[in-house]
Order: sequence, then structure tokens, then C-alpha cells
Amino acid sequence: MAGKRADAKEEPLNLLPVMNLVSILIPFLLMAAQFVTLAVIDSTLPAIGPPVEVETPPDKPPLMLSVAVTNEGFTVMGADAVLNPQGAPPSADAGPTVPCAERPCSTPQSYDYKSLTDLLNQIKDQYPDDETVILVPESRIPYEVLILLMDATREDVNKKDDKGKSRLLFPNVVIAGGAG
Amino acid sequence: MKKPRRISLSEDLNITSMMDMFTIILVFLLKSYSTEDISVAASAEMQLPLSTSAVKPKLAVNVVVSKVGIIVDGVPLMALTKKPDESGREWIAVPDEEKKGQMITRLYDRLLEKAEQAKRIAEATASEEHAFKGEILMQCDKELPFSVIREVMYTAGQAQFSNFRFVVYSTTS
Repeated sequence: MAGKRADAKEEPLNLLPVMNLVSILIPFLLMAAQFVTLAVIDSTLPAIGPPVEVETPPDKPPLMLSVAVTNEGFTVMGADAVLNPQGAPPSADAGPTVPCAERPCSTPQSYDYKSLTDLLNQIKDQYPDDETVILVPESRIPYEVLILLMDATREDVNKKDDKGKSRLLFPNVVIAGGAG
Repeated sequence: MKKPRRISLSEDLNITSMMDMFTIILVFLLKSYSTEDISVAASAEMQLPLSTSAVKPKLAVNVVVSKVGIIVDGVPLMALTKKPDESGREWIAVPDEEKKGQMITRLYDRLLEKAEQAKRIAEATASEEHAFKGEILMQCDKELPFSVIREVMYTAGQAQFSNFRFVVYSTTS
């Protein structure tokens, strides 16, 4: 049959309109592409004003958890019930609660964030309703340490619940004026 | 003698392989397409830290503190300087003539202007969405000492911005 023979001859597909479309789409998508994901960490300044009366059960004093950052490590304050179960007051020259592997800490990565998160996990077990941590960094502490510290105090990525969510520790970060 | 085959000049260009490449590029770019509210101009003076946070950024007054200066909403405001400490090591700092105590005066004036502007918009629109919440996006270089961050935060606090959002590169996708 004549018709069948005509079908058998392959016509090259005209790809030019597709090419036109793609060459317009590619610059447009390149402009709008983002190769890094941005995120934010919320934080507030310490509230200024008259103290707010908070109803707390008398048998449980409020936890005023603070983490001071020096160039020697992290000092956790305000959780003596967990840190010193015997009630012994910490001496002033005891050094940081979570010291760096080598002192003074040379890089942001030399701080021991893992041990701090473990310690905060224990504190969270005792105070499950508390969500605020006050950070008190020294003047010379790099900003990167502050961010990594906020990560360490916010959640424990190694402890996941059934839904695969990390355990929340103290997500409300307040940055205090700073020591020195 | 056999005649050599004449080469046709009007042969069609084979663009199939190019089409294959374009299809792959197109899919990749479509995947990385994003319409985020804020953008970051990365440079040697401005490297954001990495974090495990996954909170999406929202539009707010944008303060960029790089190693060399402060930029508010895309407009350069002032330059930063370097000061040696007791041991001779140099630290990035806000110039003394720009400060009044802890407050950076020029930054305070600009932020106060932004706050007034945001309040006027909030009044005019009277919608909850545009209400002035004192939110400020902070993009800071990861090597900046906390003293500079503290002065910027203190100044922003004085200019009625007290909710800080530190912009970071997210390591969780």
C-alpha cells in the first residue's frame, strides 16, 4: 500500500520550538535558583520593665537556666539541684562546667557542645516545663560559637521521638548583655 | 572512477544531545527554584554561620553586619574598624566616634526611622499582618566578636526592635 510506505519514512522531529522555550526557561530559573537554604533563629532581649508575677508552685523554684560562655568553655548556672545534688555551692575557681578539650578554646569547633546538650538533657528531665535559657557570652566570643550554642541548647538531634522529631530542650533563647 | 559523495551543506544540526542536557539542567533548576523573602549576598566579608535550625525566614527590617560595615535594608550605613586588645590582637569593633556608650548613634537614627515607617504602615492598613512587632533580621558574619553584636542588639532594642531573628545557613533540608 502506498500510504504505509509514506508512514515508514521518518521525518526528523522539529525540536526548535522546544529549544526556544528551554533557552528562555533556563536563565529565568537560574536567576531564581537558591543553592543554600536559609533559616532563622529567634531570640529576644531580656525584658525591661516591672517584674511579672508568675504563679509558681512553692515547692518548685523557677529554673533560671543560664549558660555563660568564656574562652575556656561553658558555665551552666541556675540548675544547682541537678548539677550539685549534694547542695555544695560551686566554688568560684572551679572553672567552666563544660570546658573545652584544650584551653583556651582555639576554634568555634573546639567547644564541647555534645556534653553541654547531654547536661541540658538531664536538666530538662527535672524541669520539663521550662523552655527558656539565658546566654551570657563574653565580649570576644565569635558569633559562630553563639549560634552553635543556640543549636546545642535548643534541641538534641540525637534523641528523636516516634515521629522523627528531635527532643526540644530550651528553645526560647534570651541573649543577656554579656560578661566582660 | 567513482565520484566522491557530495557533502550536503544544508544538513540539519543534530540537537538531540543538547536537548538531553537541557532537560537535565531544567529539572535540576526547577528543584532548586525558590521564592524566599530574603536573599543573602555572600562574600569573603560576610559568611553566615551554619545551624540546625529549620525555621523559615520572614520579611523584616534587614540589618547586615559584615566584617567591614553595617548595611540596613540594602543601604550601606557605616564602616567598622579594627582595634587591638592588650595582647596586640586586632578585633573588629564599632568606631568610637559612632558610639554613645553602647549605642551606635547612626544605626539608632536609621532604625528609629524604619520603626516609625513600619508603624505608619501598620496604622494605615490596620491589618494584623502588617502590625509592628519589632522584628529585625540580623545577618552577621560568623567571625564577628560578640561585643559588636551586643552593641547592634542594644541599639536595635533602644529603637523598639526587640525580636531578633538571626539568619543562618540551614544544615537540615
